[in-house]
Amino acid sequence: MSHQLGRVVSEILHRYFGEIVQQVGKDLFTYGSKPISMIVKTTGLPRAQVVESLRTLLKFHLATFEPSSNEVNADYKLIPDNVLLLIRYPRYLLQMKSKYGSEAELLIEELLQQATCSATILLVTIAKKYKDDEVKNITMSKLKDTFISLATAGYIQQAPVEEVKEGCEIPTLVPVATIVPELDTRHLLHAMTMDISEITDNVYWEVNYDRFHLDFRDEIMIKAVTRRIDENAGEMLQHLLRLMYLTSAPWAPESNPTPVLELRECCQRVAAEKPHLNQHFDQYLKVLEENGAGFVRRCGEAGGGQYMVRPRQAAHALLLCTLEHCVTERLGSNAARIFRLINSKKYIEEDDIQKHAMLPNKECKELTYKLLEEHFISVQPMRKAASAGGLAKAIYLYHINLHEVAHTAAELCYRALHNVCRRAAHERRRHARLLDKQRRVRTIVHGMRLRGEPQPNIDDVEETLTPPELAVLTSVEKRLKQLSAAELELDRTLFILKWYFMYP
Amino acid sequence: MSSNSSEDAITEKILNIAKKNPKGITDKDVAATIPELSSEQRVMMINKLLQQGLIDLFKQGGSFIYRLKTQSSKQAVKGADNEEKVVFNLIEEAGNKGIWIRDIRVRSNLANTQLNKVLKSLESKKLIKAVKCVNASKKKVYMLYNLEPDRSISGGAWYQDQDFESEFVDILNRQCLRFLQQRADNIKNNPRGPIVGRTQSYATAAEVQKYITDLGISNVKLEVEDVITILNTIVYDGKAESSVYPDGSKVYRAIDPLLPAPGLVQVPCGVCPLIHKCCSTGLITPQDCIYMNEWLD
Ligand code: SF4
Repeated sequence: MSHQLGRVVSEILHRYFGEIVQQVGKDLFTYGSKPISMIVKTTGLPRAQVVESLRTLLKFHLATFEPSSNEVNADYKLIPDNVLLLIRYPRYLLQMKSKYGSEAELLIEELLQQATCSATILLVTIAKKYKDDEVKNITMSKLKDTFISLATAGYIQQAPVEEVKEGCEIPTLVPVATIVPELDTRHLLHAMTMDISEITDNVYWEVNYDRFHLDFRDEIMIKAVTRRIDENAGEMLQHLLRLMYLTSAPWAPESNPTPVLELRECCQRVAAEKPHLNQHFDQYLKVLEENGAGFVRRCGEAGGGQYMVRPRQAAHALLLCTLEHCVTERLGSNAARIFRLINSKKYIEEDDIQKHAMLPNKECKELTYKLLEEHFISVQPMRKAASAGGLAKAIYLYHINLHEVAHTAAELCYRALHNVCRRAAHERRRHARLLDKQRRVRTIVHGMRLRGEPQPNIDDVEETLTPPELAVLTSVEKRLKQLSAAELELDRTLFILKWYFMYP
Repeated sequence: MSSNSSEDAITEKILNIAKKNPKGITDKDVAATIPELSSEQRVMMINKLLQQGLIDLFKQGGSFIYRLKTQSSKQAVKGADNEEKVVFNLIEEAGNKGIWIRDIRVRSNLANTQLNKVLKSLESKKLIKAVKCVNASKKKVYMLYNLEPDRSISGGAWYQDQDFESEFVDILNRQCLRFLQQRADNIKNNPRGPIVGRTQSYATAAEVQKYITDLGISNVKLEVEDVITILNTIVYDGKAESSVYPDGSKVYRAIDPLLPAPGLVQVPCGVCPLIHKCCSTGLITPQDCIYMNEWLD
């Protein structure tokens, strides 16, 4: 729990939920876990507002609670990792859109906004919202089918239910196994006509982030192999990963062995699209094992050979690659050379670095010390037993403690993310008046269009935004877009780091 | 005494060729010029010459070479005092690896000041020279004046007068990489299968050496080992991977990094030297950071 993480988290809370939630969140972050009365005391906010903020945080799984030692009060705790996920929402939507189409995107979007919601209400709200939208053409049966396929694929799951234990006033949340529901289109259509409050569906659903993260992980691995070898090898890895889901825990550091025969069948099935892969199946398997950065390993001979996928190794390799990029950009490619050299030799003396890296002595030393200063490498002094001359010379061995370096990189990411968020907030604040005006003009114009008012009138309203104002607006929009793209990219980097930390 | 006179003639001959080749002659050279000599006799003659102190024996690249002792050095030492002789002999013994001044002192048992004086005088007579060691800039070693320093002292092809030629190394690094990259794409969708493709994308160090030699960018002759050193720097640059053929020779292949540039280095903060000084308030803030301004415009 670093200070930097706290800064990003509070910045993100501010953006999505406003100042009060930000204060409460920050307070919880600094103190770990505490009951409501303590939050009221330290933040100086009225109790009602604190309760309201906590409710928001709990609703979106940004905080949890547990009974405190006296079993009467509840202690609240922030979950910073979940706060960071707020930034990832656009990626979830994109993933849905490309995989299941726009209905799925709408479903997930709505569900993310509601945090938890029953199936009926969710579908009815969406259907109502897009009733008049002819472009999207949303029908209830399509929505229902999408919902069911998302539930089957595990992108959404049933929300945990609360349970009150004997002798304790604080409920606990118990996860429930997801049962794919039977939804009847007729019932749903009937529900459309009712008032929302009359709907009696009490099975609540939420988004299963983990399922999305698995998708992201697979995508990164497949892309990496594609870059290293070619698409056919990527395709093969994809099949291997799919087979892995059948036999192993999805985040297992190493999958259970997969027989070659099954893999071959999979590849034969897609022979029409990938004839090349099918034709050279054995060769691709061998090359994937030997040149695929260690993502795949042969682990047995039974049944014509067995292979396993190694997500832990993949996380390791990808982390290294990220770090190397980072060193290259921060300290130059020669520093990256030294970094890799130290990593490949495990422990190395200063003189040897110079010899292998083939850099001028002075530059080499300078870069090594800079790497040390930025905590990319560490040094281990070794004292030789006092030699005959009484000149006990210490040798200094350089090495890389990957876990620590990963933390360094995470810190950098948090800092950068914080700065980007803050800058975006600043841009928004600075042009708040203009942005507001633009929004108002847009709503007015939209309303006029709906009412079918004549074009000259609409133009009049639109012209209240003067050309210089428009110019400023486009530039602000461009900046904000760039900043949010940067947030997503930073989030990708964090994803790899988190993935690496998953395996201790 | 016919044997004696013929021996003299042979001695003469050997000394003659040795004189013609001041860099030294090998056993083969001797055999070639005096073919009538059996190998046993040859060894005997050489031993005799060595005993008389007329030639010196060196080891170079696994074979022995003989070199005529310079008359001047002999004379010089003759004229010198005892200390000089002792020191000279120590230095001579060390051959082209040289000897460190501390070792001379320990082994000759001379006092520091005296030793310095002796070394100075030998140096001024151009009998010995001091050579700077590349891997320890302060360390000087002494060796006979006419010797070429060993690789471990001079650093080999990468050094000119004990200075590391980083530009030369950079050029070689780039050229080798270019060579590897030319064939790297063979592995992608190769119609003859990925294994053939992979083999085509590999290059052995010998191939690279030939390419570099043909380019003619180096006026020093590069050995395969030198090229391997360069290729390894490419591996450390993360632009190639190496692997070993079944016959034990090393092969290299150019590769791309597993990931494109990650988000961290795409934002100015990731590469910003001030990141640790950048706070929410104060002089350096994200709100009015010039790096951000440049990046956003
Ligand atoms: S905001 Fe500017 S000064 Fe601060 S870390 Fe980023 S680039 Fe550097």
